[in-house]
Amino acid sequence: MGEVIWVDMQAIGPENSVGHKIRRLLQEAGVLGGLDAGARVALKINTAEEGYEYGLRPAFLRTVAEAVTNATEQIPTLCDGLKLVDYWRRMSGSSFMDVVSRQGYSSDTLGGNFVINGGFSGDEGNIYPCGGADTVLGGVEVGAAVCRSDRVWVLAHVTLHPLLGVAGALVNGGFECLVGRERTRVLAGIDPYPFNGSRPGRSALSGFRHRALEGHLGVRQALEGRVFYVNYVWDVTPQPEYFPFSEAPVGPSQGFLASRDPVALDAVTFDVVAETASPGGRTAVESAREAVEELLSVAEALGLGSRTYTLRRLS
Amino acid sequence: MSEPKCEPTKWHELTAPVVGDREHYQKKSWNPVKHTWGPYTQKGPAPVWFADANATNWTESMIAKTKDLFYEAKLNECFEKGDEVAIKIHYGEWNRTAVLRPEYIAAIVEEVRACGGHPYVVNDTTLSYHIFNSMAYSSYQMEGAIRHGYTSATFKCPVIVADGFSGEDDYRVELPEGLILKETYIGRAVAEADAMIVIAHARGHAITMYGGVLKQLGIGCQSKRGKYITHLAHWGDPHDAIGWPKFTDQCPGKACKFHEMCDNSCPRQAHRVLEHGKEWYPERCRLCYSCQVTCIFSGMGGITFEENYFPNAMIAHADAALGALKCFERGKVGFINCAIDVVPECDCFPWANKAICPDVGILASKDLVALEEATLDLIDQAPVSPGSVAEEKGCKVGDDKFRVVNGFSPRITMAAAEKIGLGTRQYQLTHHEPVLTPENAAKWQIRPDQPTTVRLRETFHRNDLATEVMPFRREAYNKEWVWNEWKKFDPFKGEPAG
Repeated sequence: MGEVIWVDMQAIGPENSVGHKIRRLLQEAGVLGGLDAGARVALKINTAEEGYEYGLRPAFLRTVAEAVTNATEQIPTLCDGLKLVDYWRRMSGSSFMDVVSRQGYSSDTLGGNFVINGGFSGDEGNIYPCGGADTVLGGVEVGAAVCRSDRVWVLAHVTLHPLLGVAGALVNGGFECLVGRERTRVLAGIDPYPFNGSRPGRSALSGFRHRALEGHLGVRQALEGRVFYVNYVWDVTPQPEYFPFSEAPVGPSQGFLASRDPVALDAVTFDVVAETASPGGRTAVESAREAVEELLSVAEALGLGSRTYTLRRLS
Repeated sequence: MSEPKCEPTKWHELTAPVVGDREHYQKKSWNPVKHTWGPYTQKGPAPVWFADANATNWTESMIAKTKDLFYEAKLNECFEKGDEVAIKIHYGEWNRTAVLRPEYIAAIVEEVRACGGHPYVVNDTTLSYHIFNSMAYSSYQMEGAIRHGYTSATFKCPVIVADGFSGEDDYRVELPEGLILKETYIGRAVAEADAMIVIAHARGHAITMYGGVLKQLGIGCQSKRGKYITHLAHWGDPHDAIGWPKFTDQCPGKACKFHEMCDNSCPRQAHRVLEHGKEWYPERCRLCYSCQVTCIFSGMGGITFEENYFPNAMIAHADAALGALKCFERGKVGFINCAIDVVPECDCFPWANKAICPDVGILASKDLVALEEATLDLIDQAPVSPGSVAEEKGCKVGDDKFRVVNGFSPRITMAAAEKIGLGTRQYQLTHHEPVLTPENAAKWQIRPDQPTTVRLRETFHRNDLATEVMPFRREAYNKEWVWNEWKKFDPFKGEPAG
């Protein structure tokens, strides 16, 4: 049973600002005490595609980076991998950094060293097994900034996802931590942009979800389980950050949830999003439910965590 | 870009993280060599432009002259509109003071962008070099770069470590032309660029004697793997060959006050201090220089270099430079040497000694060997700086300064470079002296089209801040002091008693 902590958006005040809430979440989760001085911590974040306008504000991530700096006396690494758009041509590290910069993300604003997970090419990493012989992938190549760190905290901007239902801890802590060519392999020909009218079939989608979650097993293997997840339920848009556009969020922002169990965390997160969706966003949320159900059940079956959870809500 | 030719990984046979071996990596790698690579100069001496370090008006600002040279040397023709243009610089070691000022780099970035290129600033990770190195680890290197003022905010373009988080994001380049090396590895942010402008701080170097644009290619563009190869790691037998540290009988063992630093200087724990002397495990050594440099920096003599190591390394780094040049079509790389703060040692040193000569100026060319030769000649012709190591060693105007200061002539590198097709040592130097005209004065200003005074005129028209508080308060003051007393403070005569 996974334990999830939720710091909601109630009682906002001068001593309970968003920053206070994020700091409290980390304290209550007990993760800061587990950081040794000198530990190299990587914070996996989302850097939105050009045209996506609901990315997290840098201060939300900086708050965590500063907490890590205080605990480890080291400047943490913040990272994200190259996006999937036109992978072989447009997605060079330089244009990726240009887009990142335009979103307001830099080492200055984020409070740590921002790097591309996988280097300029997006392909720098190491191969780790995903589990036993019955896995589809066998092993995956995890990006260098993630797999060469002592610990990884996945700071996920929660959104809906056209292929996986929801982009939260499971997606950002797994598929999104892989090197570029590995993600191409996991996609196996699936077009991640269904708005182009190329919606894959049910069977292809199920296969992709399974492979993406196996990728998460590889990441956990790389970090020997030293992974912590924070879901930012903030501006939950129908599109994920790799889309070149974004519609209005499906409901009001609900705060921040954290856990060491990505399955429990995503399960709670989707429940919270569904319960608080605005009338205009409900259709999008409900249309994602089936995919989320499959995502969570496969993740649980693979041993990534438990859908059963205890929730501690802090206001 | 073509797909890599490699055997599929046998995923289901994996039981643990894969430790890549040479065979595995080379199969994964592919060769980015361009079909039309080659030295820029096909015949005769290569044109090199030079602007000296003097400045007395707007047009003679070193930054303005750097921009002038960019166009005079036709570096703007190295790339097309829309090209990804790598701006290769050295990010500088932590506590290094003699690095290029960010303004020189920003100036070139601005012009690359103005010409339609997409610039990004790059440098590769280094090997460990010494115990407190900040450049071997990409996140440390970026902290150092920011400390030197090299940021995306300063340059208004991405600032990237070219070979990735761990220095493994690279391409293998084959070098059949090499005099020593037959392959090397280039950081991908360099190798994948459409064009490159190399901006080098021209100064000395402890291994290659001198470091300018060729050094930026021959070491600066090499990934970690490329640097190991260029260091000639593991050439010959450990006990008598050049590609290994040389352990002398001068190591005092644990009596050395630096012995703990010495033990910690190796990232592979390839040596250990004993009560008397050291124990060395050559099978662990990769020749990163850490033990040698840490020992030398500490003023000790227990670990050093083979005597013939240096000229061999100089030739090897010319080979490696060719590896970087081969990643570009002919004429797609432009070179700038900034002979400013011409100190005896490399920017990877965590300090800077006194300059061996006064600032010389800026040089630019599309032929890197000609540019290096011209830079060396101008440095040699410059006066020797008082109090510098050059003066200490008896260097005279016209001497080969870096040979006197560092031991071997950098012309060894240039001869090797010319031999393998990096360029020509013959050059034709054009001394660029900007003419002071209203157009030239305005050309490189922050707002060339609108003088600041005109802008302020508009501002003052709306709100004249001075008028609001005028007249300023004036009170009686000691006129004797203001009119006469200060004249008595002649620094050469001293303040009069009483």
